[in-house]
Amino acid sequence: MPGAAAETDELAREVAEAESGPQLEDKRTGRSPGQIAWHRLKQDKVAIVCTMVVLFFVLVAIFAPLLTSLQAVDPVTGAKADPGTIHTELVDLNGFPKQGITSAHWLGVEKGIGRDLFARWVYGARPSLVIGFVAAALSTIIGVTMGLLAGYLGGVVDRIISWVIDFFLSLPFLLIVIAATPIIELRFGARGTLTAEQTSNIRFWLIIALLVLFGWMGLARLVRGEVVSLREREFVQAARAIGVPTRHILFKEILPNLVGPIIVSASIAVPAYITAEATLSFLGAGLVEPTASWGRTIADAQNSFQSYPLWLWPPVIGISALVLALSLLGDSIRDAFDPTTRR
Amino acid sequence: MSDKTLLEVTDLVRYFPFREIQGLRMVKASVRAVDGISFSVQEGQTLGLVGESGCGKSTTSRLVTRLDTPTSGKIVFEGRDITTLKESQLRDIRRDIQMIFQDPYSSLNPRHTIGSILTTPLKVHGLHKGREKQRVKELLELVGLNPEHINRYPSEFSGGQRQRIGIARALAVEPKLIIADEPVSALDVSIQAQVMNLLAKLRDELGLAFIFVAHDLGVVRHFCDQVAVMYLGKIVEYGDKRNIYERPEHPYTQALLSAAPDINVARGVPPRERIRLVGDVPSPIDPPSGCRFRTRCWKAQELCATEEPPLVESTNAHLPIQGRENGLHLQACHFPEIKPALVAEVPA
Repeated sequence: MPGAAAETDELAREVAEAESGPQLEDKRTGRSPGQIAWHRLKQDKVAIVCTMVVLFFVLVAIFAPLLTSLQAVDPVTGAKADPGTIHTELVDLNGFPKQGITSAHWLGVEKGIGRDLFARWVYGARPSLVIGFVAAALSTIIGVTMGLLAGYLGGVVDRIISWVIDFFLSLPFLLIVIAATPIIELRFGARGTLTAEQTSNIRFWLIIALLVLFGWMGLARLVRGEVVSLREREFVQAARAIGVPTRHILFKEILPNLVGPIIVSASIAVPAYITAEATLSFLGAGLVEPTASWGRTIADAQNSFQSYPLWLWPPVIGISALVLALSLLGDSIRDAFDPTTRR
Repeated sequence: MSDKTLLEVTDLVRYFPFREIQGLRMVKASVRAVDGISFSVQEGQTLGLVGESGCGKSTTSRLVTRLDTPTSGKIVFEGRDITTLKESQLRDIRRDIQMIFQDPYSSLNPRHTIGSILTTPLKVHGLHKGREKQRVKELLELVGLNPEHINRYPSEFSGGQRQRIGIARALAVEPKLIIADEPVSALDVSIQAQVMNLLAKLRDELGLAFIFVAHDLGVVRHFCDQVAVMYLGKIVEYGDKRNIYERPEHPYTQALLSAAPDINVARGVPPRERIRLVGDVPSPIDPPSGCRFRTRCWKAQELCATEEPPLVESTNAHLPIQGRENGLHLQACHFPEIKPALVAEVPA
């Protein structure tokens, strides 16, 4: 086992240090709690497998054009497939594809308008991942800032921020998003004046904004609670007695002690946001054509599941695998940061 | 040791107001943590602040370091009134007054290395620019730690070592006054002695003034020049060490002294009289009228409930002990009395 060997090495070095006495310069540096967590994570098999799965999807999203171009030239259309091009010549009069899996269409073509499903699938990974990670990053930043301010400054600031948190938590998320999306869309131009691409683009950022707007409160509450208890700890008092400026105390003294909960919260938020995006797209309040989205594809495909299951399965498997991997990874990260789990 | 006054505290008061709902009414009340105390510290001198939990010692130390703002009263440091200075105006004071904390496990940030913890005060005050690391190593050496441990985290040190790091941090800004808030009460007895010796050594070498907060008179005994005994937010007896230890007049001081374990018993000397206080410390929200100690005092009379005894010079202050001249001795009891049985076996 490589881990055991490394430990033996470390032990041997410690013994050597002890024997050679204090005159030997001690270059060994201590390990921070973050380093310990990282070390634990590297030994967690589930975490490694999940990281690989997530990495697979990230690579699929990045190299989507390349992967699509790997498909052969279609003998009927005489061109390589891409996610947007409509090929009505590939479907029959009832809308059903004339062919199944071919070298030109690895996952067949869409029912009705004959777009290439493999291209739709690899491009569909893009909005999921981008929305998931961007929304998680933004809501983490907002949540941490709000929590720090409320917890450390206390008083009126705390009361206002806590009230806002309670207010947002009490709003019905799904209802508001479904109702607000078309209304906000109208702000950018009257119905019919926007191109499909523009609408899709607006929807994309709107989803991120709404997910962040309704997603920062949990972390803000968590951070606020932690800060309230850390604020009274003696090392914060010591920093104040030394004359360390407040901004410094917040970000250099208190924030490093919150790295664990923040990373855990962010890693749990990513799969939640990916699911939320797929759900909204499925319900019609999320991404719209022509952007490829797994949630949209599922919504379109579910009506024909009995007659054409191949349409539905790839996005379902994609979402399930990605969210499962991210969730398990989040659990592993939480375990790695938890001082009470010993492995 | 000069006689220049470094710190002068006058009528210091700190109430913590709170609101409570009694029945249907909102009642405003306050915890009287510190209720009008006065003391002074000379340059290079050590004042011991003694009392049981909840008597306001820690609040006092937080007020003097200006981590907290007093309700009223005056704190003068080197002739400058620092009572109501804002955080931005406190920069110089932050350099001159430092604090050593009680709990070595929570007083060091677990996420920073020792090097980073000790560099912070240097950077904040712009000291030893360019040679901070060198200075940190000097500081570690000064408090008896291996300077090569600079890259380690607090979790790798024992309680005693951590307390030394806390001391090094306080010394980093070269303060004139250090407030030590029960610096050894969280340590093992064997380590306590080491840390006390270190503090004594540093005080003598660097000419520091100390306010040493403790909850028993034993620890303070060999370290302080003057001692103030606190009870429920007030000073009940205040004076030179010899006066407090050799002829305490306030019943509370006597009770505290008699509670200290007596090593002479082990040598066969009959145990001296022990005063056992009954009851709990009254609530500082609603302290007793008159003398605050009267609810637990064996000498309490009607006068004690109606009139608050002022902190006045002891009537015995003019009497020399063993031929030596006496210094300061103030006490706050209507019926002060020296108990010979109590002090007979206590050599200075």
